[in-house]
Amino acid sequence: MGRKRNPVEPGEFEDPLSNYDPPAYADELERVLCETEVSQMPIRPLAFIEKSASVQDALDVMAKYECSCVVVQDAGRAAGIFSARDVLNKIAHDPATRTQPITDFMTHDPRTVYVTDCPAKALNLMAIGGFRHIPVLDVDDKVVGILGPRRTTEFLQEHLI
Amino acid sequence: MGLREDIMNETVAQLPLRRAVTVTAGKSANEAIRLMRENKLGCVFVVDELGRPTGKFTERQVLKLVCACVPLDETVGKHMVPIPECGCVRLADPVVKVLEGMQQTRLRFLCVVDDSGKVVGLTGQKGLMEYVTEHFPRGIKVQVMTSKMHMSKREGA
Repeated sequence: MGRKRNPVEPGEFEDPLSNYDPPAYADELERVLCETEVSQMPIRPLAFIEKSASVQDALDVMAKYECSCVVVQDAGRAAGIFSARDVLNKIAHDPATRTQPITDFMTHDPRTVYVTDCPAKALNLMAIGGFRHIPVLDVDDKVVGILGPRRTTEFLQEHLI
Repeated sequence: MGLREDIMNETVAQLPLRRAVTVTAGKSANEAIRLMRENKLGCVFVVDELGRPTGKFTERQVLKLVCACVPLDETVGKHMVPIPECGCVRLADPVVKVLEGMQQTRLRFLCVVDDSGKVVGLTGQKGLMEYVTEHFPRGIKVQVMTSKMHMSKREGA
């Protein structure tokens, strides 16, 4: 049923939001997922390598920082992503791949979210799109963080209690 | 009911579980990697002779072996990570126990066991994401899956 509105006199300004009902959420967790920003999720630290690097360079960075994913950057932009799953599927059985360029093995043009997007969008990409690691961009399209399943779980856990 | 209440009250059986792949500790890392690739899983569970989980071997361990140039014909038992008690959940446990287990153990995968302690499935962060999406479709499924901002240039400039 529509809200009762006062009739507007001809020529008078009518607020277009006067009939707007804000969304109602069943609990705080739902509100947080829809109304906060990705910047409030744990998106750092971030491990990255340049596009010109080799697979061995990527492995070194992953071993050094004990992370399962590195962002491959090209002038600050996310050109690709290289994760432990790539190591499992493409590298583990073939030592010769180590000297080859990372661009031959990374996932090109990964799906990204912006720091201003809501956490629900990141969850959508992970659960429906099947992307496990999602680079986070600022408004200038520079990579400023990365979201993975562990960080997303941490965020859910934090807002569940 | 809200999402929070669902997570607190519903059971692990309602999570999207995946079929767990198990190996014995004597199998080689190569064999475990082959099974993980074939089943598109990031983890295999190492079980004892009664089918009870004693450890896990994940893509994280594969990464460590590859980085350290360890030969992959070594046994899984040598490189597996032991599963602590909170790394296993039962089908009747509440979903929140999965969240707690992953937080406490820093594991991405949890082993789902039956009443006798045998491995019956695998759940983890992916299953949890799918659960949240299923139980809160209005808020999540409507999100546009695109990498582009709606406006890349300031209007009227």
